[in-house]
Amino acid sequence: MLSRDAEHLYWLSRYVERVENIARLINVNAELMLDFPGDKTLGWKSLIDTLDTLEIYERKYVTFKEANVINFLSSEMKNPNSIKNCLIKASYNVKETRDYLPPASTEQINNLLNEFNLSQSKLLRNNAKDLYKLIEGSQRFFGIINDNFSNGFVYEFIRLGRYIERVDMVSRTLDTLTVSKKESQTHDFATLEWASLLRNLSAYAAYRDEAKGEIVRANVIKFLFKNKGFPRSINTCLREIDRGVAALPNNKLLKQEVYKLIERVSYSRIENYDDDQLHHFLDSFQKKVNHFDQRIHKSWFQLHG
Amino acid sequence: MTNIWKKYSASPFFDEYFNSSKRFRPHTSQIGKYIGSLNSKELDDINNATESAIKSMGISFRVYSEEYIDGQDRSWPLDFIPRLIRKKEWNKVESGLKQRVKALNLFIEDCYNDQKFLSESDMEESLVTDSPAFKEYCLGMKLKHNSWSSICGSDLIKDRDGIFYVLEDNLRVPSGVGYMLENRSIMKRVFPDLFKHYGVMPVSSYPSKLYETLVSLSYSRSKQPEIVLLTPGIYNSAYFEHSYLAQQMGIDIVQGSDLVVLKDNFVYKKTIEGLVRVDVIYRRIDDDYLDPMKGNKNSVLGVAGLIDCWRKKNVSIINAPGCGIADDKAVYSFVPEMIRYFLKEEPLISNLKTYLMTDNKSRDLISKQFKDFVIKPVAESGGYGIVIGKNASPKEKKQTLQSIKNDPRNYIAQPLALLSTSPTFDKGSIEPRHLDLRPFVLSGEKSYVTVGGLTRVALQKGSTVVNSSQGGGSKDTWIVDK
Repeated sequence: MLSRDAEHLYWLSRYVERVENIARLINVNAELMLDFPGDKTLGWKSLIDTLDTLEIYERKYVTFKEANVINFLSSEMKNPNSIKNCLIKASYNVKETRDYLPPASTEQINNLLNEFNLSQSKLLRNNAKDLYKLIEGSQRFFGIINDNFSNGFVYEFIRLGRYIERVDMVSRTLDTLTVSKKESQTHDFATLEWASLLRNLSAYAAYRDEAKGEIVRANVIKFLFKNKGFPRSINTCLREIDRGVAALPNNKLLKQEVYKLIERVSYSRIENYDDDQLHHFLDSFQKKVNHFDQRIHKSWFQLHG
Repeated sequence: MTNIWKKYSASPFFDEYFNSSKRFRPHTSQIGKYIGSLNSKELDDINNATESAIKSMGISFRVYSEEYIDGQDRSWPLDFIPRLIRKKEWNKVESGLKQRVKALNLFIEDCYNDQKFLSESDMEESLVTDSPAFKEYCLGMKLKHNSWSSICGSDLIKDRDGIFYVLEDNLRVPSGVGYMLENRSIMKRVFPDLFKHYGVMPVSSYPSKLYETLVSLSYSRSKQPEIVLLTPGIYNSAYFEHSYLAQQMGIDIVQGSDLVVLKDNFVYKKTIEGLVRVDVIYRRIDDDYLDPMKGNKNSVLGVAGLIDCWRKKNVSIINAPGCGIADDKAVYSFVPEMIRYFLKEEPLISNLKTYLMTDNKSRDLISKQFKDFVIKPVAESGGYGIVIGKNASPKEKKQTLQSIKNDPRNYIAQPLALLSTSPTFDKGSIEPRHLDLRPFVLSGEKSYVTVGGLTRVALQKGSTVVNSSQGGGSKDTWIVDK
């Protein structure tokens, strides 16, 4: 497979997954804020922190009002990771790779962008229906892919993109929750937050099923990092990545790196860390994930100088 | 004769279905009667079925206009009534095309080497050496099987006498063959019964013949040389065809940035498994964009150093750079002479009579009888810049004559050919529309001509402009043994 095509497939997948993740973030935060007493701007600011776009945000807005944040995250053209920009980039990558993909999957991406453009005038403000459409649309895309491939380079690059994006987003979300919000926490609200984090990741039922107990910090963190079956746990994502890497050529270094990541997650006592320790852990974990992404680029997309 | 045909009249043109006494020709009577047995509702249904097959197969082409600067994908226009040619007649055309392209290839090689034809014929040398298509870096190059234009698309028309003439040869990067293949797939979906009973000759071997041709032009000893199709990218109007052909042949479709020339003067493609050496490049970009070191310096479509690799015969470029010198419309008028000179044969297909505007007498003739001629700029393609004398306003006539006077080398004139017609569906009725035919000729170790070719049809009443970018449509071309 040509390096360029592989890179387009990888990024196509990352952007589609990102659309879903951002839509989930907005949706859950909006719900959470309904229960939040007092000033809600801190709660909305945390989304901007999670997505690492504070600098761009502050060029345009002074306050972190809900409407501003949602607008910025959904349709702001100057925000490279707004839902709109992600959809545009996904549809560009689809154009470049349509020969590899089942027609239904490419249509799915184009429809998502078209529908988003149509609904945009109403803005996504509290419009849970539009957010669900994005989430479903992204899932439908991956569903079509999974239904048409079971292996092969096309499938592997899409799988890699999807799960790296997911690892990145889950760890970011966790980081924001533990760090940015601790200033204003009461015990009750903390529980609400952990519950909403689980909902954000569609993990609420699975957690209840698995952990059986109440929703407490240590168990949630353990579940999200170490659980071996849940599709959005970091452990599961890393194992998917491992399978993808194993099926691709020129993978020696990457195999080692993904193994180290899995080890790190499995053997750390992350659930017992306090907030500072957790933040440091997540920070260094994020850096390793970024490094891994660069290694993917070097191994397959830019190995020719 | 049945109802739908009652109003049909192609006079004064040669019609592909009817003879001058308004009877079906022997090879069209069966399909003519079949179509005549359909009522207008049924015709509409077939037309809708055709359109929806095209949509669901995603067959499109890209148009650029003032309205759509970034281009717009349009559904490929196919008229469901096929154009029929008798096998006996086609056999002669096929031999004629092989003969013609062989001579053209020998002419190109001669121009870049001994220039015997240039010195011994009446042709002005500057017609070739001053042409923008003439590439100095080709001088001294001799190619495998003398194949410069390995894929040639020649446009044929039938004049009032019902005989095929060559209108022009497209030697550089001719397109349309993908649509020819798709037209047949669509027709098979829409008219499965007709194919069962009619004995239409199949067209589907083209991709494998093309592949064989490309293999035979490789300098590598490998039996499975590495072949790629080089495209300008997804925004090119013919991208659909590029991707279709690459898929059919099972080769990679690459852009310039996917290729790199290393110090060993070989070309490599960048894959996830590392660099892979490329033996043959089937390029669908113009000469000037192939190599920023030789042509357009700002080109990002090509590969730096590519031409040097080609000159060292480390890679084959198909079609070869520089082959455009022979599809200039002024050079065209010398093709019959080339056939006699290089092959010692008489041409089997004729040219249209062509007047070079560098000739004083011809210029006088054109200004006196302007309305009987078509004036064409020599270097344009796609039907652009053509002036049809009888349709020109006095102002246009004056402007055209002035342009000719200013730059006679740049114009030729041909008597207005009366393009043949064939029945074409138009909003519920069937009417005669003008058409041409573009067969494709492959030249490698062996030569091959497509069975028929792409029939292009002018959908507007009375129009003779068949280009799809300007409102032309297409038909499936049937070679029938009747």
